[in-house]
Amino acid sequence: MFENDQNDIKKTTQDEQEIAIRVKDVKKKFKLYYDKGTSLKEKALFWKRNRYEERTVLNGITLEIKKGETVGLIGHNGCGKSTLLKLITRILYPDEGTVEVKGRVSSLLELGAGFHPDLSGRENIYTNASIFGLSKAEIDERLQSIIDFSELGEFIDNPVRTYSSGMYMRLAFSVAINVDADVLLVDEILAVGDTNFQAKCFNKMQDIKAAGTTIVIVSHSLSQIEQICDRSVWIHAGKIKEDGVPDNVHNDYMDFMLSLRRNNVSLAQMTEEVQRAMEEKENTENALRSEMTPEQLDVVEKGQELRWGSREIEITKVTVTNGKGVPGKFLDVGDAIHFKVDYDVHKPLGTVVFGVGIYRKDGLNVYGTNTMIEGLDTLYIDKPGSFEFDVPEFTLMPGRYVVGFAIEYGQGIPVDYWKTSCEIETFTKLRDVGAVRIKHSWKLPDNAKVDTND
Amino acid sequence: MITTFKEIFNYREMITSLVRKDLRGRYKGSVLGFLWTFINPLLQLLVYNMVFSIILRAGVEKFYLYLFVALIPWIFFSAALTGGAVSVISQKDLINKIYFPREVIPISYVTSCFVNMVLSFIVVIAVSLISGVRPTLLALLCLPIIMLVEYVLAIGMALIVSALTVYLRDLEYILGIISMAWMYATPICYPLSMVPDKYKNLFRLNPMTDIIGAYRAILYDGKVPELSTLWTSVVLGLVCMIAGFLIFGKLKKHFAEEL
Repeated sequence: MFENDQNDIKKTTQDEQEIAIRVKDVKKKFKLYYDKGTSLKEKALFWKRNRYEERTVLNGITLEIKKGETVGLIGHNGCGKSTLLKLITRILYPDEGTVEVKGRVSSLLELGAGFHPDLSGRENIYTNASIFGLSKAEIDERLQSIIDFSELGEFIDNPVRTYSSGMYMRLAFSVAINVDADVLLVDEILAVGDTNFQAKCFNKMQDIKAAGTTIVIVSHSLSQIEQICDRSVWIHAGKIKEDGVPDNVHNDYMDFMLSLRRNNVSLAQMTEEVQRAMEEKENTENALRSEMTPEQLDVVEKGQELRWGSREIEITKVTVTNGKGVPGKFLDVGDAIHFKVDYDVHKPLGTVVFGVGIYRKDGLNVYGTNTMIEGLDTLYIDKPGSFEFDVPEFTLMPGRYVVGFAIEYGQGIPVDYWKTSCEIETFTKLRDVGAVRIKHSWKLPDNAKVDTND
Repeated sequence: MITTFKEIFNYREMITSLVRKDLRGRYKGSVLGFLWTFINPLLQLLVYNMVFSIILRAGVEKFYLYLFVALIPWIFFSAALTGGAVSVISQKDLINKIYFPREVIPISYVTSCFVNMVLSFIVVIAVSLISGVRPTLLALLCLPIIMLVEYVLAIGMALIVSALTVYLRDLEYILGIISMAWMYATPICYPLSMVPDKYKNLFRLNPMTDIIGAYRAILYDGKVPELSTLWTSVVLGLVCMIAGFLIFGKLKKHFAEEL
């Protein structure tokens, strides 16, 4: 009731009222202790040893979210998106800058907060909803819709410990979503219950959105964000990298992620290694650039790298044979093509994975795969040998393509990543258009006359 | 601080439900359940009666009652101090995952102890009446005031120690000793008259001294307590509570990182 008074005053200025969340120049650092001592003895004895590393998680974020907007926060693991969400929730406070949120906030960060296993579902609704700041009268008002939404029926009066995990989550989700908050914060939603219930949750989110609630979602699922959000904010290394229509932001984000992956940064490694990888990439690129022929440089400028890796196992030769069994790099669209990759072993490693990537001259990764993705046997290699990559119908449309082969060790550690190991060019006499000639056929009407003029 | 109060007021249902959960959960699984709230003080009384009327004769008439009316309020205060200290830490899952005014946690913990004490007082008053004490109506009406003063003081202490314990976990154990020392520095097991005169003023600085004295006046002597002596406790209680809110308000910002 006090909130209302405050809101009335604030409504006097139109602009003020329109903004639901205002994040201004927010910086947040975390202290990572090497060996943290919280006890008195440790603090007294080892105060000098209490070394820590400061990690900047958010480095100057400014963001305004209007009332009724639905915003998705994206970014790789550790980019700071969840921290930002926690700052908006007020679980964390910024080191610098301000965060203002207007109205009641409900968060789906923690479902079932404060559930007591011995109390009944109904009693737990009261506890859980009260944590969102609802008064008893407000909970009474919503009780029926919460129970209905949870589909728990008569089970609602059984102790929560007797619930299945699905029932538990359904109840928790129902409470959180029925709070009628002005601002709803969601971290990785809709992994709740069976498909039916997920669909129901999703629809409910749409309803909530239609009702004018401001929603902020953190998710790895870009499609989820595209379905619900009007706006997407890409956070990278503690800063906003892009902010706009989800489609555009996601495209750029995907490109960026693919380029990282091309650099052999696996998703798990990405957190710490993203920065280093970016630097390394730049260094190798610069180093390579100085040694390159103009032709190679052309390839690199199109967004591709040449070759890197630890080289315990080294690709020595890539032989390209076209469909007629003739060595060469030219072929007709739809012809067969065959690659034979010879390698030498300087030092045996563990099991290795062979990979291939095909790039169009403008840098587009047309296709990429490896033996691990396809579930082939992982191999232990200690002698020189060769592997072959066979394409019965190479249907990429006319143009120049760069084909790279790679040998990786373990979860994507580059041993020899030769991205520009060979080049092929395709031709066709037909004048069809596009990127790929999809295998197809026509069936013409059989009751029409054939025009013989042509 | 005004905004904090408003917010806590808005979250009053959370306090109620946490208190309810705590009280209901306390004796969960035991055969006698909630009855323990009453049985516990009764059994304690039985022990004191045996010890002090058979073995240690302290020279105070009805010593068991003398002790009992002071001990029940003390147990509340000491629980608020030692248990309150870990209240925030023990709710770290909640604090890490969801926003609510953090003050709610120590407040509901203290309130739950307080409700427990109020219920125990049913037994205390009954025992007092059975023992032949005839408190005047006015004296009994003073009882809630004394309780409130003690409650305010306990809230203040709990706010301070719960916030500090997050950053310095040793406080939990240090408080065990402090609480014991505090008990002996308060005239609970002995009358204030036994304290040498030169230390009496020092004892008066202890807010619990007058609070315990007031309980005793009502339930042991059956008299209206001298409210004038209670002023120190009221002032100290309020100071403690305000300091509690300020310190807690300052420290709560980094709870989620420290827990």
